[in-house]
Amino acid sequence: MFLKKNTVAVMFLLGITCAPLLAPGTASAIPAFSRQHKTECSTCHTIYPELNEFGDAFLKNGYVYPHKKDGAGAKAAEPGNEWSIISGLPQQIPLSLTASADLAYDEDAADGNKLDLSTRSVTLQAGGSFRDMFGFFATYNLYSQGMQRASALANPANNTNVPPSNDPDLDELFLVWRQALGSPVNAKVGRFEPKLSLWKKSNRILPVPSYASTTYRVGASPFSSDATEDGVELNALLGNRVFVAGGVVDRNGQDREDGYGHISLKIGGTDFKGQEPEVDLEKDSLWDYLSVTLGAFGYWGQNGEFDANGVAQNLNNFRRIGAEADILYQRLHLKGSGSFGRDSNPVFGFFKAPVDSKAYTLEAEYYLGAPVNLVPLFRYEYLNAGDGTIKRLTPAIAYAPLQNVRMSVEYTHSIAPEGTGNIAFASIAFSM
Amino acid sequence: MKKLLVTMLLVAATAATAHAGLKVVGKGDAMRLDSSNFPPAMKANYEIMRVKCVKCHTMERTIVAIQTGVAPISGQPFDRNATKAYGIKMLRKPDSNMSKAEVKASVDLMNYLLSEAEK
Repeated sequence: MFLKKNTVAVMFLLGITCAPLLAPGTASAIPAFSRQHKTECSTCHTIYPELNEFGDAFLKNGYVYPHKKDGAGAKAAEPGNEWSIISGLPQQIPLSLTASADLAYDEDAADGNKLDLSTRSVTLQAGGSFRDMFGFFATYNLYSQGMQRASALANPANNTNVPPSNDPDLDELFLVWRQALGSPVNAKVGRFEPKLSLWKKSNRILPVPSYASTTYRVGASPFSSDATEDGVELNALLGNRVFVAGGVVDRNGQDREDGYGHISLKIGGTDFKGQEPEVDLEKDSLWDYLSVTLGAFGYWGQNGEFDANGVAQNLNNFRRIGAEADILYQRLHLKGSGSFGRDSNPVFGFFKAPVDSKAYTLEAEYYLGAPVNLVPLFRYEYLNAGDGTIKRLTPAIAYAPLQNVRMSVEYTHSIAPEGTGNIAFASIAFSM
Repeated sequence: MKKLLVTMLLVAATAATAHAGLKVVGKGDAMRLDSSNFPPAMKANYEIMRVKCVKCHTMERTIVAIQTGVAPISGQPFDRNATKAYGIKMLRKPDSNMSKAEVKASVDLMNYLLSEAEK
């Protein structure tokens, strides 16, 4: 009864809370890589855009094929390809397109439109390397309809360094100077998702909704751990199984920069360089199939509400601390993510009202098919961003009839202080 | 006569590019190994490889790697160390559907083929 009487209010509150979770996903690996390396999508993906262990090594290697003998230069040195190696140009234009169309059924839709087939998006991507010295990646949102976008926020520039008059549809654009000046350190500059989580927000079987633990926002602050931001990041492998990253993020309207750090350790399985573990083919061991990756991150930042001159005021100092685990055993893949935060003034008020927040996500996937083309999964999420606890339970199934086509059906049951909500969501996406 | 001559020249050219130690049947996606002269154990191993490996990639990829000694995608040397590494990679791939015994059979076969290709 309560829910019926307050359907509009409940859905509004749920919508506000969940809106950032419905931002369209972007792919971290793209068909341009497949064309460049003449290999199939399953080299790096389970069901795209989720990365497998080798795909993660490719990402950490700055978009250069791990262990490639002389890298792209070897091919460029072939007769007729001299122009490529001299100029540093990729031999193919490294562009890709990803498109999706979604169908949502919401039994409590505030506008009465229970069945909605109006969400779709087209994203342009580019990625590759220049003579293996520089890696690059870009994502440009060409079109989206019916989705909550960063550009739709009242103050998108608050989260990035884009002048307010520009439409921040350029989601990612960065260059990685691989092993800069002969050191083991990679230097990344541009707009990117700061390396906090073990997984980029696109590194999911189900990119929509994203994980509550990394995508939640507090109050009026547009910050989320997985938002793309303008910055500089240094990252490096320590040995083959420890990865560290740290960086600074520039923010408009203030002089102070944000800072962050990440460390991850992989035990068992393919190492971060893409090398297989030693396995005795005569004897069985638990570690033949088991790999455990542990990660931790921290982010410290400051944002504020812009005045008429674009100067941030009523400042909010915030931090996020997170810990994550990724466990793979044969066909079973478990992911766990937890994040704790504190915002000193998330509503940008004159009088500060600090808010503590916490969020968890647990996901279990089971891979079927050869190559993987069917994945049932279950996700549990918990969020408390200062205005009550929200829990979400999401069973889903994803199917890839071809490696570049993904279909998914998911059902989300949300439990919030104001009531419960049920949304069914179907999506078809393809990449080319 | 002219057709016969052209055919013979084509056959000769194909034979020259193919590795002397391996008998290959077909080309492209249909490329297979002629296993008629394999020892019985390797014939059994080849049956595993012929069924399991082609689920995800062509036999051509494996045959070219053995013939040239270079893995076609990574450009890395394809030697005995590499055959085991690829075997382990396939074993651990969640979707490979290969048991440890099947992987070992495939690795043994690839090592045998490498030896044959060197002859």
